[in-house]
Amino acid sequence: MNPELERNVWLELTPRRLLVMTMVLALAFFAAAVTAGTGGPAETARWAYYIIVVIWGSRNAARSVVGEIRDHTWDTQRLSSLPAGTMMWGKLFGATSYNWFGGVLCLAVILASLIGHSGVLVAIIELVYYLSIGMIAQSVALLASLMAAGRRQGHSQFEVFLYQGAGMVAAIAVYAIWSVADPAGSILLHHAPTDFIVWWGRSLDARGFLLISLALFAAWTLTACYREMRIELQMRNGPLVWLAFLLFIGVYVAGFDAWLSGYPYLTDLDAVARRLLLAGSALAALSYVMVFLEPKNRVQYRWLAGRFGAFELGTGLSRLQSWMMSYLAAVALGVVLVAWLGLNRQLGGQGAVGAMLGFFTRDMAIVVLAGTLSRRRTGDFAAAAILFMLYVLLPAIIGGLNYGAGTLLFFPRISDPVWLSPTVAWAEAAVAWAMTISSIALPERQPAAT
Amino acid sequence: MIDVSNLVYEYPTVRALKGVSLQVAPQTITALVGPNGAGKTTLLRCLAGLEQPYSGRVTINGLDTRQSPRAIHALLGYLPDFYGLYDALTVRQILTYAARSRGVAAAQVSETVDKASWRVLLKDRLDARAGELSRGLRQRLAIAQSIVHEPKVLLLDEPAAGLDPQARRDLSTLLVTLRDSGMTLVVSSHILAELEDYCSEMIIIEDGLIVGGQAIKVRDVERPRYMLEIATARSDLREFLSGKGGVNVIEADQHHALFTYTRNAVARFRLIRDLLGAGFELSSFGESSKALEDAYFSRIRQGHESRT
Repeated sequence: MNPELERNVWLELTPRRLLVMTMVLALAFFAAAVTAGTGGPAETARWAYYIIVVIWGSRNAARSVVGEIRDHTWDTQRLSSLPAGTMMWGKLFGATSYNWFGGVLCLAVILASLIGHSGVLVAIIELVYYLSIGMIAQSVALLASLMAAGRRQGHSQFEVFLYQGAGMVAAIAVYAIWSVADPAGSILLHHAPTDFIVWWGRSLDARGFLLISLALFAAWTLTACYREMRIELQMRNGPLVWLAFLLFIGVYVAGFDAWLSGYPYLTDLDAVARRLLLAGSALAALSYVMVFLEPKNRVQYRWLAGRFGAFELGTGLSRLQSWMMSYLAAVALGVVLVAWLGLNRQLGGQGAVGAMLGFFTRDMAIVVLAGTLSRRRTGDFAAAAILFMLYVLLPAIIGGLNYGAGTLLFFPRISDPVWLSPTVAWAEAAVAWAMTISSIALPERQPAAT
Repeated sequence: MIDVSNLVYEYPTVRALKGVSLQVAPQTITALVGPNGAGKTTLLRCLAGLEQPYSGRVTINGLDTRQSPRAIHALLGYLPDFYGLYDALTVRQILTYAARSRGVAAAQVSETVDKASWRVLLKDRLDARAGELSRGLRQRLAIAQSIVHEPKVLLLDEPAAGLDPQARRDLSTLLVTLRDSGMTLVVSSHILAELEDYCSEMIIIEDGLIVGGQAIKVRDVERPRYMLEIATARSDLREFLSGKGGVNVIEADQHHALFTYTRNAVARFRLIRDLLGAGFELSSFGESSKALEDAYFSRIRQGHESRT
């Protein structure tokens, strides 16, 4: 047996706890069966599953690493000989083994009801859905806590709650997407299911498409957990897996271009431009997420700059952070989009996309600058506040004072002349990066170490 | 066994290690001493491959921590300043998990657990929960957890902090036993007295640098340290001792001298006779009981003098 799983099982699955879970759930199902208006045991089992596996399970998954850091056992684990995969699976299913025990009891009741009312096929599809939502929620919570461990922060109860929250947000996303084609009917969102989804111009069976999507995203989440665990165990990750993920996301998101065809500002764009816009936006969104999540360490950046300065390009490129690769990929797609719009003589769109790229570049600099100037999470809060000010508060004030043209200082617009908006954006980006690079290059203070 | 070359480690706003170089010989117990905040824990974590240095090189048994951190983890045991135990598990479960997670074959786990618990005198408490043990016993369990896979190198960060005198004595005995069984130990502490009993080498770290640039031998079985005192001040005490063959004066003033000399009783008798013959009013002569402390302050003084 996986040693990490076995250790967690020693802690989690004591006979007394197993008995308590069984008794409580049995009583809940019995109460639902004899009480009118509760929806019966199956409905109760669904809610119990969400509470036990998704909500409570996310918390336990988040604590599986954070708890080790808090209890000072994490360094000992990092020194173990366990492979990253063994450690990850051991934590993911070990720390949540008690939740899965309760979840299996709930699933038994749900499936018994579905087989009786809707048939075996629907029961199997529902089983895949429930397993996926539980696993995605827990693995996202584990991933969030691993990323926090990489930033050497985050073992207070509040921070555990944040990592649990990340898992629950993922679960809500899965739930909302699944409800689009839920054959059994959503228990929260009551609307008619869709039978077909248009993707890359093809009409596909909605349930099949969503099931495959869920499986793929679950696999990517687990891959991310594995890679973060490798970093914690002092192993290095190459860039190829992240680049493959960027390619996957770009292709996946670009397939939904039909959804943009009715959007008023985008009616002039052809399918190619819409797909480039969608893929680029997805990669840009990933850049924003990753630049906030990844550690922003001046020492690491100086080391990286040193590698490029010494023309050790292979070493430098292999140690780029995920946000850097995402940024470069998003900019590359943006440049292709600008060229495509130019070929189609859409100069206004060209200027707007050019400005988008400039502001995007500026924002990356702001987040890195704030992260390297401040300690721990305060830098990210400061960066978020600055971006809120730049994108919301200042444009609102300028708009309120009837200087509408001034808003091109703060977000991309189709300006007259066309070149004005991108020029302003890239000038801001240049200033922001000059400040960021200066800050990273500053010599360190000399107070005491540990 | 351990070779550190020009090691630099930076926290985002602090350079904690500023070019540390040192060697640790196999089968020795080396004290890593220095004031709080000197960089001891950071250096130990770099040695353990838990932190990647900004520059420089650390090799353990010929393996580079940057290139082969996992192989180095298999070679060493690390006792952090917090012991890192699972309070809800029994001693047997903790050692079983430690053995399995450190790569001990399943068939040998039981035997390994028995051996480790026997070494730290916890054989009779295998079914006790870690949370129920006293601090001294928890420390022993933590050491057992660190050595369960028979590492070549054992790094201990402030192992005696908070222990009572009996537990400290037990710790000394245990560490000497481990060294005699072939391990190389590095023990960090800022309390010199607790290292006195078992350390043979000392590395002084101050403000991220090794004072004096290298480890110093503090316990030499063949040539121990002696401290003498004379009743009436003589300015030629150092000069007289330095002129005697085999005497190596570490430091001296007009009343005291600290020096190394052979353990041979006849030679010592002759030295005392010569001192008395030269008119030195010898009031005490004996092996220094605070060899480590003497060496520490001597080296610190030399370091400060060379800087001014």
